[in-house]
Amino acid sequence: MLLEINNLDVRYGRNHAVKAMNLNVDDNEIVAVLGANGAGKSSLLKALHGLVPVHAGSIVFSGDDLTMKSSAERVDSRLALVPEGRQILVSMTVHENLLLGGYRRQGSTLLDDIESIYERFPNLGERKDSQASVLSGGEQQMLAIGRALVARPRLIMLDEPSLGLSPILVDQLFELIKNLRGEGISILLVEQNIKKALEVATRGCVMELGSVVLEGASDSLAKDSGLVHAYLGTQN
Amino acid sequence: MLGSIYVTVAVAFTLTIGILNFLNFTIPAIFMITGVIAWAVAAHWLPLGVDGGLAWPLAFIIGIVAAVLASLIVERFTFRYLRIRHGDATEHAIPLVSSLGFLIIFENLVLIAFGSEAQAFPEKFKSDFYIGEIIIGLPQLMSLAISLLVVAFLSWILKTTNTGRALRAIAENPDTASLLGVDVRRIVPLVFLFSGLLCGVAGVLFVVNYSDVSPYMGEEVGTKAIAAMVLGGLGSIWGAIAGGLLVGLLEALSIHFFGADTVDVAVWGTLLIVLILKPSGLFGASRIGKGKL
Repeated sequence: MLLEINNLDVRYGRNHAVKAMNLNVDDNEIVAVLGANGAGKSSLLKALHGLVPVHAGSIVFSGDDLTMKSSAERVDSRLALVPEGRQILVSMTVHENLLLGGYRRQGSTLLDDIESIYERFPNLGERKDSQASVLSGGEQQMLAIGRALVARPRLIMLDEPSLGLSPILVDQLFELIKNLRGEGISILLVEQNIKKALEVATRGCVMELGSVVLEGASDSLAKDSGLVHAYLGTQN
Repeated sequence: MLGSIYVTVAVAFTLTIGILNFLNFTIPAIFMITGVIAWAVAAHWLPLGVDGGLAWPLAFIIGIVAAVLASLIVERFTFRYLRIRHGDATEHAIPLVSSLGFLIIFENLVLIAFGSEAQAFPEKFKSDFYIGEIIIGLPQLMSLAISLLVVAFLSWILKTTNTGRALRAIAENPDTASLLGVDVRRIVPLVFLFSGLLCGVAGVLFVVNYSDVSPYMGEEVGTKAIAAMVLGGLGSIWGAIAGGLLVGLLEALSIHFFGADTVDVAVWGTLLIVLILKPSGLFGASRIGKGKL
């Protein structure tokens, strides 16, 4: 098992964001986490990456207990997070953003990896010396994912990656997610776009008020989408 | 002309405010500590052991080391302490107040140790030369060169090294920096180390040019450096340099034309006028707030 989340509890003051949550991600798997706003999805990802403290429970990633480890150590274990809203460093160039993606890496292969990001996303290559602030929304999302890839992750956590993208770009994004899995990278995908998320995912779960209320193979969840929508409070 | 000293201290302020959004009020005291410690070493302790040629550089180096240590103490007990206890210290005004506390404590410790009068260095650095009718002090010229060199080196670090990029990432967004693996808690002391170093260099330059030290020598230089930083554009290193030189020039001109009493009115008046016309300062970006470096 690549990622094991056992009885995870995350609290901010009085707000109990994640309650005794259990979830696993296997090698070469895409797991979709669905849920309405405020269900605790972003808190889950932040806790998994060490950006907010864990109140109880444990996070085990490729055999290491990460529960008490810093974000930096989690990057070293090859866990990456592409946060909600991309959080591109807009005061820096595209190239500097990618260099920072490899901040924890040693050695000379970093520049080769960045070069391969430019091959994968030619738009970024053309603008490598431009300020990241001039990129379009789609390009910023590519940069955010590229920046995570530079760290050579085994698991990428994507928080609402399709938010604010046009339908064509959304299609490209999900194509990219599928391709990444083909390259041996597992993905934990938090999404509002239920249909698309369940199309690419192997498994999925629905969170409500900090707990998993529904879990299963993604095709069975897709078949039973009425139930999923009922939990999310959305129209089928 | 104090321009080069203003430049160096203004850049020290710019570092902590640009990267950590923290106006470090202890900076004038750190500047003062360099001068006073260097004086104490040169006047009291060194003649006992080291002689002649080595005494000055050694006194200055000890002064700069003291400044860096003082700066790290301030980091440990204002910024880091608050960050651990209350989350993001950059959102609080509290570190600002506790750095003000450190300013007063450092000044008074020096006052208790050495008294409140200005102390003169045993020896003066005199080597003026003339270009036509203008007197150019060699120390002044060297000061400008040294301060610009130190600042240029620092800005090179920020621009091109991995650590520099990490610092700029923290400046823009500490959360993003940590999710990329930057250990924010470990790298923040570097900001204080650099700003302490700059204050130390400025303190040495001050001593070389004026040979007088006192517990309050940092206050005027410190407030003028803040004015210089804001005048040039808050958070921009090159703005701080330009602002420092401009404040030095304004001082020289107002002394020449209107007399010494008009200096502060000229500097702060110019600052207020510039801020009304261009709130981001002369060379500042349009963004005001965190993360401009």
